[in-house]
Amino acid sequence: MSVKYIPVQWNANKYIYDAVMLLGVGLFLYVFLYAAPGILSHERPINSQVHTARAFGACAFVMLTVILCIGPLARLDPRFLPLLYNRRHFGVMTAFVAITHAGYIVDWYFAFSASNKYEALLFANTSYGQLAGFPFEAFGIFALFTLILLAATSHDFWMKFLSPPVWKRIHYLIYPAYLAVVAHVSFGILQDQQNHAFTAIFIGGAAAVGALHLLAALKDRRTDAALKADAADWVPVCDVSEMKDGFAKIKLLANGERVAVYLNEGKLSAISNACAHQNGPLGEGRIIDCLVTCPWHGFQYDVTNGRSPAPFTEKIPTYNLKLKGTAVLVHPQANVPGTYVEPVPVPQGGPS
Amino acid sequence: MNQAEAILMGLRIWGSIGAVVAAIFLTIGMDRIDEDAREAYIFRPLLIPGVLVIWPLVLWRWYLYEGGRDQWARRYDPPRRAHFAVGWLLPIGICLIILAGLSQRQTWPADLAPVQLSAPAEVSQ
Repeated sequence: MSVKYIPVQWNANKYIYDAVMLLGVGLFLYVFLYAAPGILSHERPINSQVHTARAFGACAFVMLTVILCIGPLARLDPRFLPLLYNRRHFGVMTAFVAITHAGYIVDWYFAFSASNKYEALLFANTSYGQLAGFPFEAFGIFALFTLILLAATSHDFWMKFLSPPVWKRIHYLIYPAYLAVVAHVSFGILQDQQNHAFTAIFIGGAAAVGALHLLAALKDRRTDAALKADAADWVPVCDVSEMKDGFAKIKLLANGERVAVYLNEGKLSAISNACAHQNGPLGEGRIIDCLVTCPWHGFQYDVTNGRSPAPFTEKIPTYNLKLKGTAVLVHPQANVPGTYVEPVPVPQGGPS
Repeated sequence: MNQAEAILMGLRIWGSIGAVVAAIFLTIGMDRIDEDAREAYIFRPLLIPGVLVIWPLVLWRWYLYEGGRDQWARRYDPPRRAHFAVGWLLPIGICLIILAGLSQRQTWPADLAPVQLSAPAEVSQ
């Protein structure tokens, strides 16, 4: 948001979120390293450095898998929304765990290389022309650099400086990075894995990520089909009797934009359904004191002008509305973000 | 110089330029373009890794702000429709990669020697 920057915006919920996350990381590493090494890997004895490297690598994979499951889960069921709230810290922590994994690997396997150990990492295997024995390290390097890039640009400053569309497009790199991690494991440890507990965890985790994204996409398509309106000068949204005070009806316009029409204290207002922060679904938020709160990260907007309350400066487009009988109609042409639109009063006898 | 040395040299040069950009941008530049950053100093070291990695983009955005050419209207451009493409491409990619990886395995669980769990029944002898 738009106030003086501080290093980290903490609050009680974030403390709890981070404490649970750190506890989970500690528990995973403890189980992998000490409690159940026989279950998770290694009939053949390995030394503690390799064991630790694998523990951090497996932990990074599981963390990234959980992170990527949170988004579609929240789209499929709003009860998972609290997990989305502080995913940024989860991502930064994952980058540190992945760096630790890479550090152990490089410091162990290339410790006695005649050349620089990072050079050795790059030319140790150059069989890029074949699938068998493909240099899986390259996938890991790409994923690690991407995680570092995303963590390094996670501060609120970057969102404002780069602009949300550019920032969001950079952070879409998480998807190719996850595919690279899957390839890193598939062409790496999976080639030699004899104990298949980890194989099951890996394939199960990756399948969960893929399946949840597919299910969320299909749900979005079904929802869009139900919400989609034909092109018209004034697009019908719903009957005013279907509206509930403090909540919105969402409509998908012919141009692909979603509009959220709210009933607020007996008057109708319409804003874009997409939050300026990360395009969270504003229409699923509830109005309190004329402000709707984004269910994803808590950004707020005045529904009459699409502006965040001072000192914040975010703005989203508004839409013009009118009533035709009891039918609520929206004009599909969005107003410039932050434009005030006089709310349309609902006649007496309308919904309360 | 071999290719690995060239790649690392490129990274060092990239990072060195990034360090210079970070030093100038974080001490002078950001105060000029972002009022929220004025008199806020403690958070700035957190931005150093980001500048090191994407310094050309930092310079470009800085240039746009300085010239007043940042198109603020374009700051609102929901790219959320990409979720649908991701919803299909991610599972397909995951399946293809895992299948390709498994197809290259030279040993399978089926190759393990069978273990007899109980004595054979007398009638089958």
